[in-house]
Amino acid sequence: MEYKVEAHRIMSISLGKIYNSRVQRGGIKLHKNLLVSLVLRSARQVYLSDYYAGVCLNAQHIEAKEWELMDADREKLIPASERHVGAEDGRASRLQEKDGDSLDPSDVAVTSPVSPAISETQCGSSDCETDADAAVTEGDSRQPPKDHACSHRKRSAEETGVSETPVKRTKVTPNAIVANNEIEEGEEMDTSNVSNLITIFGSGFSGLLSKDSAKSESETDDSDSGSGQICCEQMLKNLNPWTTAIVAF
Amino acid sequence: MLSPVLCSELSALEPEYTEADVISTVEFSQSGEFLATGDKGGRVVIFQREPQGEYNVYSTFQSHDPEFDYLKSLEIEEKINKIRWLPQLHSALFLLTTNDKTIKLWKVSERDKQPEGYNLKDEEGRVKDISKITSLQVPVLRPMDLLVEASPRRVFSNAHAYHINSISINSDCETYLSADDLRINLWNLSITDRSFNIVDLKPDNMEDLTEVITVAEFHPHHCHLLAFSSSTGTTRLCDMRSRALCDQHAKLFEEAVDPASRSFFSELISSVSDVKFSHSGRYLLTRDYLSAKVWDLNMEKKPVETYQVHDYLRSKLCTLYESDCIFDKFECAWNGTDSVIMTGAYNNFFRMFDRASRRDVTLEASREVCKRRAVLRPRRVCIGRKRRESDICVDSLDFRKKVLHTAWHPTDNIIAIAARNNLYIFQDRHSPSGHHGVHRIEQETAPQLEDTPPQ
Repeated sequence: MEYKVEAHRIMSISLGKIYNSRVQRGGIKLHKNLLVSLVLRSARQVYLSDYYAGVCLNAQHIEAKEWELMDADREKLIPASERHVGAEDGRASRLQEKDGDSLDPSDVAVTSPVSPAISETQCGSSDCETDADAAVTEGDSRQPPKDHACSHRKRSAEETGVSETPVKRTKVTPNAIVANNEIEEGEEMDTSNVSNLITIFGSGFSGLLSKDSAKSESETDDSDSGSGQICCEQMLKNLNPWTTAIVAF
Repeated sequence: MLSPVLCSELSALEPEYTEADVISTVEFSQSGEFLATGDKGGRVVIFQREPQGEYNVYSTFQSHDPEFDYLKSLEIEEKINKIRWLPQLHSALFLLTTNDKTIKLWKVSERDKQPEGYNLKDEEGRVKDISKITSLQVPVLRPMDLLVEASPRRVFSNAHAYHINSISINSDCETYLSADDLRINLWNLSITDRSFNIVDLKPDNMEDLTEVITVAEFHPHHCHLLAFSSSTGTTRLCDMRSRALCDQHAKLFEEAVDPASRSFFSELISSVSDVKFSHSGRYLLTRDYLSAKVWDLNMEKKPVETYQVHDYLRSKLCTLYESDCIFDKFECAWNGTDSVIMTGAYNNFFRMFDRASRRDVTLEASREVCKRRAVLRPRRVCIGRKRRESDICVDSLDFRKKVLHTAWHPTDNIIAIAARNNLYIFQDRHSPSGHHGVHRIEQETAPQLEDTPPQ
């Protein structure tokens, strides 16, 4: 359990570094930020592997509400970075991932302890990349085919998010362009950010916006230190442009 | 083993110093007669070795100024990242200096004669009244006080989209390479408006980026060979004869990582911070965060020697990550005969490893400890309680004091250690090449120095 705390702490620190790197003199340092993103990824893997180990035990006890509960848990436990980073674009692709999951759509995809990271990655690479472009260009036009309680929730999450999408995009794009030394990549930023974030962070965006994430976090009590959680959260509200700036660098 | 003695200490008079005074690179000239340092403020200071063996300030000039890239809204730091000397052919000195984006070739020359007896100007330079001139005279050269001038002869700019981390002059003395995070360019010293790209690690999709170039260097004898290291802990040797674009390496030096020792920071600490060819050209010295490795160019799969520089930090990586210390890039150096390697550490410590005897020593470069002509006492870092008075506990190490930049004289046992804004020059007590000077050298923080006559 302490590994999870440690991993979360390291993730918070890493996100803070990425955030601060933008205001450093001399521009963003590619080397340092690449290393920080590697640490972030390692910590995230540990964090999620611990998560899945814990979730497996819970899955056997709960019935119909399990999906929503799991969802809330998952949204809480998955680093807010992914939530937030994926907020504008990952959300839609996350929908696709959940719905397109070849495993049992209700719980197993979430609760399966078997290689969760791998399943995520597979989902990410196969579904999200193909759908990311469409999702981005169409905005909120993607509707999940399954009429599921979760999907409804997701849809609502997406809709609330869409209104923020233009705002986030404007925040992201100039920053990413500024951080990006290659100007021609500016146009591809949005789609590339999504697939990149998915591959680097192993997909798994739950597609929450700040509102939803704040709500779900407040209703759960995690073993993580509260201050670390809040700190992470606050950092991540501002994170979106920075993370996408890094990966698009 | 060496017994270093302090022969010159050049440090700020004031205990307070500005960030701009922090030394960012140190390099001996190819003969060892001159030593150049660059700092974060973009200044270069050149020291010359006196006949008695001491190094005194020879010239100071502002090499780079802060710039602003309007297109990308980025400030370009003036910090001097690297200095490399050209071989000295005649009385003038030539050196390359670089910041993040621009490389400059400087000529440093002496002037000790000036023409006197102009017809149209008088002694103070005022134009004479033409009507008063009755006869013509030929100006003659008369001795004057020594004046050392530095002038930029070439400016190599706009070739790097990312931050330049290394420059290296080829053994052919006509070309040199410059390396940034993703690319290595080959330049001709005389041509500033174009360069050839020889290594390009930039992926088509920047999101697939997995490694960056950290250091690059030309082989000391073979003008077609270059080595570059990456953030993934690999060092590649490239042969420019085999192909024009050296993305495919000729050799790849990488040691397999023990999976048992994996942690969050394994990838971080394997990133290579410095690469140096041995003088013989047979070996490569690489420095990563915790160790220094000697590689034989003929064996790629593992180094021939590994030296743990400060392995006691392995359990403190998380703290070092928080404080950003884990990103410190330590340099390393060979001695003239390739028998000893040297590298820096924290708490103003620097370490030397004798390759043959496997003995090593830890020394400290600080004003409190270094007395002129006193032999430095070896230090020891202990993990538990101190066994000796000179021991220092790991938790007492000052991580703000780091020796990142070190240089070894090309032939003699003289080393230059940079600790923040201070430069220490140590000489081996038993070195036959000189005795120790008496007077103390101070370097003021203000650019005006006594040794440089005013213009």
